[in-house]
Amino acid sequence: MMILFQIPQVDPMPLPGPVWLLKTLLITVFTLHLLAMNCTLGAGLTAAFSALRGRSAGHPFSKRLAGELAAMMPAFVAFTISLGVAALLFVQVLYGNLLYTSSILLGAVWLSALALVVVGYYGYYYFSMRHAVNTRTASVVALVAFGCFLTIAFILVNNMTLMLAPERWFGMYKAHPNGWNLNLAEHSLVPRYLHVIFGAFTVFSAILVHLGTHKLKKDREYGLWIIRRAGMAFAMLTGVQFVVGTWFLLALPRKVAVIFLMDPVGGAIFGFSLVFALAAMVLMLVAGAVENPAPAAHSGLLATLITLVLMVVMRDMVRTAYLQPHFNVSQLAVKSQVSVILLFLVVFAGGLATLGYMVGLVMRAKPGTGERPLASGAGSV
Amino acid sequence: MNYPVWQLGIPGGLLIALVAVTHVFVSHFAVGGGAFLVLTERRARAAGDVEMLGWIRRHSKFFALLTLVFGAVSGVGIWFTIGLVSPEATASLIHSFLWAWAIEWVFFFVEIAAAIIYYSTWDRLDAKAHMMIGWIYFWSAFMSLVVINGIITYMLTPGRWLQTHEFWDGFFNPTYLPSLFIRTAMCIVLAGVFGLITAMREPAELRARVVRLAGKWMLTGSVMLPLFGWWYFAKFPDFAKAYTGSAMTGIKHTIRGGIGFTALVLLMTLIFALWKPRWMRTPVVAVVVVFAFCMMASGEYLREFVRKPWVINGYIYANDVRVDSIEGYKAKGVFGNASWVTATDPQSVEYGHELFVLQCSKCHSVDGYRSMRLRVRNWDATFATNMLPHIELTRGTMPRFAGNEQDRAALGAYLGSLNPHPEIVRLNEASIDNVGKQVFETRCGSCHTIDGKVRPLKAAFAGSDAAQVEALLPALSSMSDNMPPFTGSELEAKALAHYAAMAANSQAGR
Repeated sequence: MMILFQIPQVDPMPLPGPVWLLKTLLITVFTLHLLAMNCTLGAGLTAAFSALRGRSAGHPFSKRLAGELAAMMPAFVAFTISLGVAALLFVQVLYGNLLYTSSILLGAVWLSALALVVVGYYGYYYFSMRHAVNTRTASVVALVAFGCFLTIAFILVNNMTLMLAPERWFGMYKAHPNGWNLNLAEHSLVPRYLHVIFGAFTVFSAILVHLGTHKLKKDREYGLWIIRRAGMAFAMLTGVQFVVGTWFLLALPRKVAVIFLMDPVGGAIFGFSLVFALAAMVLMLVAGAVENPAPAAHSGLLATLITLVLMVVMRDMVRTAYLQPHFNVSQLAVKSQVSVILLFLVVFAGGLATLGYMVGLVMRAKPGTGERPLASGAGSV
Repeated sequence: MNYPVWQLGIPGGLLIALVAVTHVFVSHFAVGGGAFLVLTERRARAAGDVEMLGWIRRHSKFFALLTLVFGAVSGVGIWFTIGLVSPEATASLIHSFLWAWAIEWVFFFVEIAAAIIYYSTWDRLDAKAHMMIGWIYFWSAFMSLVVINGIITYMLTPGRWLQTHEFWDGFFNPTYLPSLFIRTAMCIVLAGVFGLITAMREPAELRARVVRLAGKWMLTGSVMLPLFGWWYFAKFPDFAKAYTGSAMTGIKHTIRGGIGFTALVLLMTLIFALWKPRWMRTPVVAVVVVFAFCMMASGEYLREFVRKPWVINGYIYANDVRVDSIEGYKAKGVFGNASWVTATDPQSVEYGHELFVLQCSKCHSVDGYRSMRLRVRNWDATFATNMLPHIELTRGTMPRFAGNEQDRAALGAYLGSLNPHPEIVRLNEASIDNVGKQVFETRCGSCHTIDGKVRPLKAAFAGSDAAQVEALLPALSSMSDNMPPFTGSELEAKALAHYAAMAANSQAGR
């Protein structure tokens, strides 16, 4: 009863849309957020080390890869943030009473994540603009920025686990009401964090393999170089993920872990995610070994993305199981704001169309076709 | 009192203000600056002005670095801070306006993508395509403002929403349009102001041309601001209008600041941007930026202040207590009915401190910003306890106290403990003339003036001598339910009566 009492009451206004719609949107934007976040973490580390390695004349591909990743890194951060905002919106409406409480308990730490985002974001911009001029400094800055993002991930994992542990809240509040807390008492904290971080590098490796296939036409040697290295990294990281994932599963409370071992739906999703992860590992290794790597690489990426979606669904099941029997979103009152939902869907479709239009404009254009405005001594951007 | 309180050492409201003001300063630039970029690009291309085109290209990089990073992250910062400081109100806003935020997010996402493409494709896209991306950026950014403005204005003027709880009733509320226009004017001003910053790195001739162009934007926006400001003010709820005419120091300074900084920006625009653009050098630009920031901060502070004691007018108080929960706490008390009380003795000063944290610390610190120790100077525990049931009457900015008699006693004891040695105890017969004013300010001044705008007492005491006023004091609480009993010492009563009679009957009054 005590635990129930300490979960703040849900806002008396009903949910403005059906739970299935809100959950679908949450899972969709969160998956996209993870993809962008994986690129942010993976690209930062890969680009910094590639740039440092590329300083030697014997590693031209490393230098080239660093340059190509550098151009994309700020955009990866931008999309990680903006997609994260959407996920935060939907998680607030569904689990706000839990999330606000855990955020307050972590207050100072939680807010410091924003300062780290600013430092990390500007760090990636610095690398993006300066890596060719001052490689060493720019790489160090990129690594510091990468460290900021790693720390942010740790803070987020703390909050996402603490919001599921109301039994810890009151003691934590009593001990440190100033918000200098971490959820270190959570058994699954470290394996969960490592699962997310190694997962990020794994998914980014798959994306790199995909990038390599696009390079094959213009520079086969360079493309194969990326595919082989990234494919091998993917396979190794997937192996690490099996170990870390097992640790994570064992660290979960029994009532949560059983949904993947005893429940038919949970077991099926868990089983499929393992199968797709294994398939992706094999496909990436094949891509690095055959003459025509594209089919295996594309299939490997697809299997990786399917695994990612399944993992996000499993994550949602873990959250639901953790909160049983104290809180269940399916029992919340709902009063759908139909007209505004329809407007959102129209705007959403319009937004997608606009994004497609803009990407189309960029893809159709060829570098150098723009009207270079610079003349008479004006500097360049 | 549904949620724990983050005890960060300063009032949470101040933290929100710090994050929000810096964010809106950049985010309004992000909107106006978008139009500024694409219109300047179009004009430069049409005129074949390669120098101006070169500058706007460099300006677009500054624009992206500032708005995409600091602008976007500080916007997320507002979400973080309001959730930390006012979780009850944030939950209510999210439940009421989730889809507005979702729509705003779509525009935000397109805006981010367009900004990245715009600043990075000067060499890649042809002129028409590049400007199209610029327009997509601007309209997405502006629509983002159009949407978020509905939620911000709802908090001050929820209109029919309070009765219907319907989305559109809250969204299109009485201050929606004037606020949108005033913010649009601010976007135009800031587009020019930030243009000055990058202009300083250009050669003299180009710099002068850019400054003049930026000056035209600043002038346009600055001229529109007072007009829309007046319209916005006209739509304020009555209680908010009353603040603007009151003698409250914060309000007075904010209004004077808002008007003064707007006038200064306008004046500097006329002199340094339009009349003598060559005089616009880095130190002057720094001053203009600071003045523009102060102008924006004044407006935002005023908007927040006039909403007191509410965070959502008529629905949730500024201390995150729901208006409909007050009666429950009055009947049953906070102890045992709120989740986040750690004290074990409901009669202890420690419990009183927790009530302070739960109900006061969103706006007040003990010694810093809006210091409670200063505000309750010379209050003893009894007086504080007696004041709490009427606290919402003290100049209008305070929420009702949520709690029963036991809670009042505990919080009163805590407030009384903040100044354990009141200055009044040092009174003696010799100093009575000098300290009457001090007693009045302590015992009456929170709700009354002698001859001011706030509940003047001059008429009530006119013609009475000190003895007659003193005779009234024991019967104060029987005159009105809103009056606490007089619990001061005999000496204080004497001093107070002396001062009140003298001030009420003097020609100057007070």
